[in-house]
Amino acid sequence: MVGMRGISAPYIYVCTRMRVRKAKLIPREEYQRMLNMGLPEITRIIGETEYKQEIDELGTTFKGIDLIEVALSWNLAKEYQKIQEITPGTLKTFTQAYLRRWDIQNVLTILRGRMQGAKTGKIKEILVPAGSLDTQALDRLLGEENPERVIEALKGHHMYPVLAREYPYAKESGSFSRMENELFKQFYAEIIAGAESGIKGGNLFLDFIRLDIDIKNLKTLFRLRADALDADIREMHIPGGALSATDFANLNTIKNQGEFIDMLKGLYRQKALLALLDEIREEKTIRDVETRLTRVQLEQMEKMSKRHPISIHPILVYLEKKKYEVFNLRALARGKESKLPSEKIVDYLVM
Amino acid sequence: MAAEVVAAVDVMTVEQIAASQMGMKALGAGIAVGLTGIGSGVAEMGIGSAAVGAVAENKDMFGLALLFTVIPETIVIFGLVVALLLLFV
Repeated sequence: MVGMRGISAPYIYVCTRMRVRKAKLIPREEYQRMLNMGLPEITRIIGETEYKQEIDELGTTFKGIDLIEVALSWNLAKEYQKIQEITPGTLKTFTQAYLRRWDIQNVLTILRGRMQGAKTGKIKEILVPAGSLDTQALDRLLGEENPERVIEALKGHHMYPVLAREYPYAKESGSFSRMENELFKQFYAEIIAGAESGIKGGNLFLDFIRLDIDIKNLKTLFRLRADALDADIREMHIPGGALSATDFANLNTIKNQGEFIDMLKGLYRQKALLALLDEIREEKTIRDVETRLTRVQLEQMEKMSKRHPISIHPILVYLEKKKYEVFNLRALARGKESKLPSEKIVDYLVM
Repeated sequence: MAAEVVAAVDVMTVEQIAASQMGMKALGAGIAVGLTGIGSGVAEMGIGSAAVGAVAENKDMFGLALLFTVIPETIVIFGLVVALLLLFV
């Protein structure tokens, strides 16, 4: 099956499928149109796109915003599971490794929900069973009454040691943010180790992960500046990217925005990122900075996928773009439900 | 060595030489069709898998995908033409 330059037919097949799926995503103009619509019209428009099946199936059980929320989550989970089914060989290993981030998100959602005493049905609506924990495993976790039992039920899972170690602190402080940081650190360390183990195509996957870590660290830095938090910020640093823990801590001590941007510019090489840093030299809202950083990340990923058309990149770009499409639609629907003006909603969209 | 070859040709009859030439032509024709067939196959592998991928996502692309997949068939047709020229002209 291996043809010229070691590229096999299944790789070409999957990468083309991902490209076609990416082309079917909702375009920017459609979001602009939806901004001027009400919730029922938005539901109808969504029902005419790739979400038709979910909207039709759930239409009898849910209504309004709940229908959109559940349909989007179901569609995202279905899409991710389908991609895991069709990807071959090492692409599957990388895709599964990347999708394990949803395990963290799902477990934290359940823990937070249980801590706040939210209803099981409400928590279930926002879970996305895309990682190694499938619907049955998540249902089992949802069946547990308190956070301690949820963590106990995860015994044997690779997240368990971190969860067990961090839970007492989370319970005491009432916040799961440190646990979330630790889980993400473990997640990135594991996938970097996996990509560096010499698997074919591992270096391309590593490029993607490094970009992801860089953007995540930058977002944390900007958030810390916005909140003027004086906690031990080294704990919030994710190792593996271009930014070292020392640089991260030093950057946080710089109060002047101009100096902060200059130091950041010395640490990164990507042209798009440097241009963005120049743009945000003047003070901007944290929401605006985050959206711009996400946009740069997606643009960079797109470039990488064009440079390596038959690799893990086209798959990961689609996974990310799909995720942001769901986030956008959710933000749009939630914004309309809360009667927010369109100018306000547009700040939350990554287009 | 050269003297042995000359001696071998010397002892061949006209019929034997004609048969040998025909054999060489047949070999040439076989190589032309065979190699171009492999070339088409390699070219179609990539296009074919991409075409199946595209059709799996969007059925409307079937006609166009099929057309693109068979474009490298021209390579094997060139080989076939060369083979026919060798054998019959």
